[in-house]
Amino acid sequence: MTRRTLPLYLLGLACLTAGSAIAADKPRQVLDLDYGEVLFQFYQEDYFAAITHLMVADERGRLPHHRKDADMLLGGLQLSYGMLDQAQARFERLLDKSADPALHDRVWYYLSKINYQRGHYRKAHRALEQIGDNSDKALNAQRALLAANINMALGDNAKAAQSLRDVRAPGGWKEYLEINRGIALMRAGDITAGREVLDKLGKQPAAGEELRALRDRANLGLGYQLLRSGDPAAARDYLNRVRLQGPFVQAALLGAGWADAEQGDFQSALTPWMALSKISGHQPAAQEARLAVPYALAQLGDGKQAAAYYELALDYYDSEQQRIDAAIDSARSGNLIALLAQADTGTSGGWLHANPTLEGIPSGRYLVDVLAGNGFQESLKDYRDLGYLAGALNRWLDKIAIYHDMVDMRRLAYERRAPKVRERLARREATQLKQRWQQFKARVDAARQQDDPLQLATTQEIQQWARLQDLQTRLAALPRTPRHARMREKTEWLRGILYWQIQADYPVRWWENSKQVRGIEPLLREAATKQAAIRQALQRAKAGFDGYDARIKALHGRIVALLPRIEAARGASGRHLQQLALGELETRRQRLVSYRSQARYALARSYDQLASTPGERP
Amino acid sequence: MYSLFRGSLAALLLWSWLPAMAETPAPEAVGVQEDVQSLKQQVLELNRDLFLLEEELLFPTNTQVSVFVSLDVGEFFQLDSVQLKIDGKEVADYLYTPRELDALARGGVQRLHIGNLRNGEHELVAFFTGKGPKGRDYRRGATTTITKGLGPKYVELRIVDQTRNYQPEFAVKEW
Repeated sequence: MTRRTLPLYLLGLACLTAGSAIAADKPRQVLDLDYGEVLFQFYQEDYFAAITHLMVADERGRLPHHRKDADMLLGGLQLSYGMLDQAQARFERLLDKSADPALHDRVWYYLSKINYQRGHYRKAHRALEQIGDNSDKALNAQRALLAANINMALGDNAKAAQSLRDVRAPGGWKEYLEINRGIALMRAGDITAGREVLDKLGKQPAAGEELRALRDRANLGLGYQLLRSGDPAAARDYLNRVRLQGPFVQAALLGAGWADAEQGDFQSALTPWMALSKISGHQPAAQEARLAVPYALAQLGDGKQAAAYYELALDYYDSEQQRIDAAIDSARSGNLIALLAQADTGTSGGWLHANPTLEGIPSGRYLVDVLAGNGFQESLKDYRDLGYLAGALNRWLDKIAIYHDMVDMRRLAYERRAPKVRERLARREATQLKQRWQQFKARVDAARQQDDPLQLATTQEIQQWARLQDLQTRLAALPRTPRHARMREKTEWLRGILYWQIQADYPVRWWENSKQVRGIEPLLREAATKQAAIRQALQRAKAGFDGYDARIKALHGRIVALLPRIEAARGASGRHLQQLALGELETRRQRLVSYRSQARYALARSYDQLASTPGERP
Repeated sequence: MYSLFRGSLAALLLWSWLPAMAETPAPEAVGVQEDVQSLKQQVLELNRDLFLLEEELLFPTNTQVSVFVSLDVGEFFQLDSVQLKIDGKEVADYLYTPRELDALARGGVQRLHIGNLRNGEHELVAFFTGKGPKGRDYRRGATTTITKGLGPKYVELRIVDQTRNYQPEFAVKEW
């Protein structure tokens, strides 16, 4: 069976829930090559090229077999390329145009997703309710997740959890559905049920890094929830399940220490906190551990060590604050945006497969979280896409100058050749040839009708025949002598031989001549057609050149008008990115300031305690 | 002190409880995104018109010939490159990236070559290089004669798995 596929199935996965490793193909034959070419670009996430080619193919009428699919695909491509308005309008038109219930379901899903992305949660919910019972498992899974997210956004966590229950989903989706259900249950206040779901998920063997990270997340979330609800012993069990090599290890170590501390076991709490404080990480958990270690030491009664660690913490916070201040200055000066321009990867559309390198960016280490965030990624995509658009238009600007010259060259060539062509047309060569052919045909037809072989004699034979006739005439005028009689007899014999030869060849000659007559006829017709086409082309050529001139001029004008607007939008997008980065840096700075003041206060208190303790001096 | 730690924990807790797959854009980003959407639409329309002009100028319909490559299943052959000759002249020699091969395997069709040919018959030869059954180096050719008439000519080079002999088959289809 062929594996050529339509992307409808994938749109929901690749475009709307990117990051999921789940994909399934729905075999279907590609019947228009242009449509296959669009898919080739779509599967490479080159959405700009895919949309352009789809529009070109549509304009040329090259999608006769995939008209409906092309509409759906274009809507999906626009959605993937961040053109929500256009995608929404297209999907709404599709609802009016098609009566296919399966197509309606998919369209309503996309409309719901668009409204959710825009924060129009009520509209998103209404669109989702339009989807009927569907046998498409992938669509069911996507719908359930979207319904859960919408309900959570609307504050109805219980309904969110309900929408994720017993969903018929394809393999690989279950873990996503379950973690979201666990989260929804917890948020709805049903701790027991939420714990049951997340506990089960957290114990499952996971194949692949993505699922292992998901499992870690479930355990981490559950551990913290239990800490908050006053069950530190159970919390410790869940936090212990988080992998040491995983992305959540720092938060897990901090929480593990807290679980011990809550049970009064500060000695045990020191182990994860000391390990965390030695990590040269810049995450909040690692920073907080610098305070947690002396706090535990103080609780254990080791005031001297506690004071020493508070001093170390103060030094650390001071140096970190200096670095953050430098990073803020650097970000404000525009260096950050210049470095983020490395996001210009030469393609447009799709997810950024790798964050722009953080090496060399003073604030890089603090921006890991913000860079991974959806808001920053979306803005960075806009920034990159605008750079790509400007690059594409600048390349067209160079090309269009060449096309202008090309049209000029063709016009010159036309003006040079046209008079000669007109002259030949004026000679009516095709008409003359046709007349000659008609004469030849009449001769062949006459030979057949009169059954006269001499009609098809060769030029040489005609000359010989005429010469013999001339000889006979002259001999007839001579006296009747025996010598002349022999000459007359010989002439008559030669004439007979010649006639016999001509007559013997006559059937073959007639057949060959007839064949040639028939063969020439279509060539003459073609010549007449070409002559008419040339005459027409000559008449249209000037208008054609003028038409190209006008089109090139108009297109050039559009490029020139768009370039500064793109530049301005890119500037705005860059400034937005800068604000996001500065916001994150400022939050981190404030956190450090808070940690620092807590450390100073605790240190002062430690010194006081040491001073009041006999035999102890700080 | 203790309460401060609890405050920090609460912040972390909120962070860890964010829904696993849901995020919506910040309101301040919406204005910029709407501008970007409108610009994208205008540039796409312009790009389409420029493509149409380019095609008309460089590859008029009466002489235009396009050669496409498609892959059906592709279990018996791992494509590395395709070399294409028309009337003895090399017009394309393409090396595929893993991303392109994936796109072909999922049903995408690649336009390998677009050019111009006079009306009449032309010889087209394609060489496919890659790994064949059992990972062996594999190079096979496919030859055909195409007839160019009025209107654009589309030719598809298809790599199809033959289950009867577990070998790839290279076919040429004129559209």
